[in-house]
Amino acid sequence: MSLENKVGAALFEVIDPELGINIMDLGLVYGIAVDVEDNVNIVMTLTTPGCPMHDSIKAGVERRISQIDGIGDINIDLVWEPAWTPAKMSERAQEMLGFA
Amino acid sequence: MVGGSLQSNTNIKLPLAFILYALAAFVVAQIVLLINSDLLTMGQFRIPDIWMGAHFLLLGYAVMIAMGAMYQLVPVALLTPIWNQTFGFIQLIVTAVGITAFSILLGLAPNKALYGGMIAVIGVLMFIIQMVKTINKQEQKNMMTAFILGAIIFLSLTIVAGFLLAWNLSIGGIASHGSILSSHITFGVAGWFSLLIFGFSYKLVPMFSLSHGYSMKWAKPAFFTYMTGLVILIASFWAKVATLETIGWIGMLGGFFFFVLDIREILTKRMKKKLDKPFSFSLVAIMNGLGVHVLAFAFSVFGIHNITVWGWLIFLYVMGWIVFSILGYLYKIVPFLWWTYKYANKIGQEKVPTLKEMIDEKTSVILFTLFIISTAGLTVSGLLQINITVFLFQGLLTLTSLLYVLSIIRVLTK
Repeated sequence: MSLENKVGAALFEVIDPELGINIMDLGLVYGIAVDVEDNVNIVMTLTTPGCPMHDSIKAGVERRISQIDGIGDINIDLVWEPAWTPAKMSERAQEMLGFA
Repeated sequence: MVGGSLQSNTNIKLPLAFILYALAAFVVAQIVLLINSDLLTMGQFRIPDIWMGAHFLLLGYAVMIAMGAMYQLVPVALLTPIWNQTFGFIQLIVTAVGITAFSILLGLAPNKALYGGMIAVIGVLMFIIQMVKTINKQEQKNMMTAFILGAIIFLSLTIVAGFLLAWNLSIGGIASHGSILSSHITFGVAGWFSLLIFGFSYKLVPMFSLSHGYSMKWAKPAFFTYMTGLVILIASFWAKVATLETIGWIGMLGGFFFFVLDIREILTKRMKKKLDKPFSFSLVAIMNGLGVHVLAFAFSVFGIHNITVWGWLIFLYVMGWIVFSILGYLYKIVPFLWWTYKYANKIGQEKVPTLKEMIDEKTSVILFTLFIISTAGLTVSGLLQINITVFLFQGLLTLTSLLYVLSIIRVLTK
């Protein structure tokens, strides 16, 4: 399994504590890139700017990825554009929220 | 892509300390009112013992909760960190001492209440300085800023009017005591609390219901119509013109209605179809608030000026709208604060509970139902002046308040 895939799989274990759904199914992760030195760059967002869980979720992502063997530096780029929309959620997340 | 990071970094102990003081004051207020339930039955609200209960409820509970919540929510809603947290802790101590002394003196020695009032005023002024300094740092002002600033202006006016009343009780010599009293109540309950709840609801309702794509198109009309109505209503207390009072109530009702239109749109565009029960209770409070505004307008149109009726209407405004809103939101705010304190550093490392798992939702439904029953029962009994049922419903309200506080404290053990 490539390092990108390992990071992606690990992020399924980071749960948004307000919604009880992991950040991958919520569609909060826009991109995962690993360079030749195994440094990880993650582009992600939150469901709303000024989310009170901002610091916790970002730190949680960092903490979970750092547990992966052979990982280099971790850089998390939190962006607000494009803004998160409910359409970014997986069907599983939509079902969990009673929407689908 | 535009990146950005918010480091609100509010020390969780600050809002929690405000909230814990407030919860204690909430139970004390209900006990004071229970002991004096015979006075409530007679509709005698303007006496020292009731002042003590009312100020423990409104200053000790509602204002302290609002302050604590603002220390947490202002950075969230306005994307701006608190100006000075150390100043916040000092403000907490000064305000808690001031409010306790003031409320007790109002009940036991009203002629000395001024001295307790002075300390409370200093505490509130410190809070206003903190918030104005914080809001000044906000880069892009929005309608939430307008609501919060409006609320803070009315908080300032409330303490000025309250100080004049305390001065009159202690020293005397200021004319128009009645007009100042009416203005004090309106500044506080409608100006400060309502504008504050409106403002934060624009952030909290979409956040808790996961709503996107709503317009907030009524926020500006809601703000200006409500503010205009408030100013006209207060002017009517001084000009003593009944028509002005009715126009004031029309404005406030209109402003409230516009706010409800926005909330309705937010809820129709929500992703979270099954809302948390405590949050739903805060939404019930919004409908209570609208209902009380309709009643106030109707009473004004039909010339109903019975002091007992208005006394109980103010009670409904305070309990059904302000206190119920806070009770519902606290079930979200306290678990969040405690979760952040205890589990924020463990997310991604081990399994941590969700916020919903921090509370007992079934118990909250029972408690909220009891709050509704006791408040409705108390109001009807008070209007019919039936002593025994006033005592029983106030007893139920006191017991429910105590159980509610215990349920919140239980969150702190998780």
